[in-house]
Amino acid sequence: MVTRGYRAFQAVNAAVLTVVVVVTLFPFVNILARSFSGEREIRSGQVSLIPRGFTAETYRHVMSDSMFWTNYRNTVVYTVVATLISIVLTTCYAYVLSKRRLKGRGVLVGIAIFTMFFNGGLIPNYVLVSSLGLRNTLWAIVLPNAISVFNLLVMKAFFESLPVELEEAAAVDGASQYGTLWRIVLPLSKAILATMLLFYAVSFWNSWFAGFLYMDRQELFPVTVYLRNLIAGATAGVDQTAASDSALQIAASIQAVTIVLTMLPILLVYPFIQRYFVSGVMLGAVKG
Amino acid sequence: MVQLSRRQLLAAAGAATVASLAGCDSGDGADSADVNDKKAGSMDGFKVGDQFKATEPLKFSIMMLSNQNYPFKPDWPMLTELTKRTNVSFEPTAVPGSDYNQKVSVVVSAGNAPQIIPKTYHPAEEAFIAGGAILPVSDYVHLMPHFTEKVQRWNLQGNLAAISQQDGKYYLLPGLHEAVWQDYSLGMRTDILEKHGLAVPATWDDLTTTLRGLRKAYPDRYPFSDRWSTQKPGPGANNLLGLLAASYGTYAGWTYQTAYWDGGAGKFVLSGAMEQYKQVVQYLQILVSEKLMDPESFTQTDDAARQKFASGKSFVLSVNAQTVVNEARLDIAKVPGAKVAKIPLPTGPMGATLSGEARLENGIMLGKKALESKNFVAMLQFIDWLWYSDAGLMFSKWGIEGETYTGSLDDGSFKLNPQIKWAGLNPSAPKNLQVDYGYFNGVFAYGGSTKILNSQFSDEEKAFQAEMNKRTTREVGPPHPFSPEEREQAGLWEAAIADHVNQSTLAFILGKRPLSEWDAYVAELKAKGGDKYIDLANKAYDRFKEKK
Repeated sequence: MVTRGYRAFQAVNAAVLTVVVVVTLFPFVNILARSFSGEREIRSGQVSLIPRGFTAETYRHVMSDSMFWTNYRNTVVYTVVATLISIVLTTCYAYVLSKRRLKGRGVLVGIAIFTMFFNGGLIPNYVLVSSLGLRNTLWAIVLPNAISVFNLLVMKAFFESLPVELEEAAAVDGASQYGTLWRIVLPLSKAILATMLLFYAVSFWNSWFAGFLYMDRQELFPVTVYLRNLIAGATAGVDQTAASDSALQIAASIQAVTIVLTMLPILLVYPFIQRYFVSGVMLGAVKG
Repeated sequence: MVQLSRRQLLAAAGAATVASLAGCDSGDGADSADVNDKKAGSMDGFKVGDQFKATEPLKFSIMMLSNQNYPFKPDWPMLTELTKRTNVSFEPTAVPGSDYNQKVSVVVSAGNAPQIIPKTYHPAEEAFIAGGAILPVSDYVHLMPHFTEKVQRWNLQGNLAAISQQDGKYYLLPGLHEAVWQDYSLGMRTDILEKHGLAVPATWDDLTTTLRGLRKAYPDRYPFSDRWSTQKPGPGANNLLGLLAASYGTYAGWTYQTAYWDGGAGKFVLSGAMEQYKQVVQYLQILVSEKLMDPESFTQTDDAARQKFASGKSFVLSVNAQTVVNEARLDIAKVPGAKVAKIPLPTGPMGATLSGEARLENGIMLGKKALESKNFVAMLQFIDWLWYSDAGLMFSKWGIEGETYTGSLDDGSFKLNPQIKWAGLNPSAPKNLQVDYGYFNGVFAYGGSTKILNSQFSDEEKAFQAEMNKRTTREVGPPHPFSPEEREQAGLWEAAIADHVNQSTLAFILGKRPLSEWDAYVAELKAKGGDKYIDLANKAYDRFKEKK
């Protein structure tokens, strides 16, 4: 039987969660509304949740800029390649570290953790990447960030939680070390793999600094750099001598449009791996 | 998104300094650098009025700021034409304008800088001097006839001295303005003034009278509600304070600096403790206490100030050439009969003069790699032509005569091609001078003669400028270049002093602290290192004077 107290709890719960949902969704809807609104309405602050002075002109404007699409394609390529490489490297490292019988395991863990607290710094990194000849290549974005230590530790904890007996059984059946990883461990690890996929994909999709720093040509920038430049241009005030009228006019909605366009793909990925995502993080977290 | 903090950047620059000091070869040797073996491609006897053309095709690496409103395109007609005229092409590093300084900082500190690094605002170049990453350009300006001629003719030696370092050299080739360009002033509702028979104020005291008149006619509102208060540092209403300070002979608001050159006494004094500073504060305190000025002027956002002006709740606010047209005038478009104009800058005790400090623009640093090139002299000649000759400036600003524009500036027949739009000109034209052609690009086109500057103004702005140009330009004070160790100590004092000056300025103006406590305030400033700072500055100045 449902008690009154429980019903009250449910009501409060629903109310609180609704507020949370509204607070979370409001900026998205607002951005969406702005992206379809006229400049005048945006400037005078009339737009909140519904587009005013409906126009798709700014979408047309952004989408007609070929550089936007070039940069967009770069982001997709960088994200896919970087995520795949990261997943492979992180899995290999984490699996090795999860084996307690490994000699020097402490040192290997220590090396990884050391980089969480200390790093060479901006300029040494830049010099390193430059002298390796990685500038203006995909590898400048992929390699320096290939293994995230946080993700590594989460994954290591997950592998440690798998029963040792499974692998022993595989060994008895004649599976090699790699065979065990490939046939037994990984199929059991879909949850953590999906989680890592999401973590890495989102972080590479959102990152702009590596692209900004190591790429010297516009056609190599990720779209985040393009977006950032647009937003800065719209908010930093207009260059005294060099204001162009069109920039003044659509500055307001161009931000919203670009945000919507870049947010959309990664937003669409979420629902498909969300169920893995939740269980994956939990699984890793139980055994620290 | 990742954002580097200032501290991280400083640490990075510091690390680079240490690194390059460690590998430093002794002595700077660059003093009387021998450039005889670096003349490949240069012109013999290059002089003022000559068109630079390299004797062989040359390629220079350049840091290229990509402006968000007209993103850099390697195939701009401007660059093609430039190569045709000068035989020089660029090897550009394209950097988004949003984070240009950050990339410059990393790349230069890492020793990877391109040869030409434009768009540097003094004193940003100082961070790179100790590491030896950039060249002391003053050692080489004798190879740049247009630059030296303009400095002479426009009497800019004092301005250049002001950006010089302790060694007497400067490390930045700044853009040069013939005259002070006074862009900022007050915007006033001229229709309201007319309606109540009030005159456009010529002096700051007149302004008080006018505001009193407005208050009398509209007792329920503050006639003056100002903007530009949100940007730190500064006590708020930073443009207004800057304008007032210039008229009274001190520094405040946007123009605030710790030390002011007292020409009469021949030494530096603490600007926040000056009698003139007190007068500025007192002036505003009266405006606020008589309810002529909105006390929120010092704290509100620009949008709030604009809205008050737009809805007729206020009649005066700060403007510049852009905002008076694009913001103030648009904002009041709905009010029938409303008119706004940028009034000639009111004068104060300094009379009809303008501070001469704003005559240098952002400029060019030369990476140390530039000197290693055998084309170094040709590069200097190229920079000299493009950034400092009248022909070069005209080209980078308006393009090709007969193609992007017709006529000439000399007889006033100049006209932009009607098929090309720029800012407010030819709004319905199919092509854009900046986006499609690459002219009027902030990387190349700035500074120059008043005539060239005027070519970009509307008639209204030209009239304002004509009025401003009647005023005489004051001499700039001498520099007091600190040594690196002194600069570090001075920086600490500066921050503490500026904090206290800003806070107290606001408290005095808003009446939260009575002006009778002024002497106590001055004593507090001294306690915060004010005296020591001024001693240091005067010593540095004496040292500079002796060296000269």
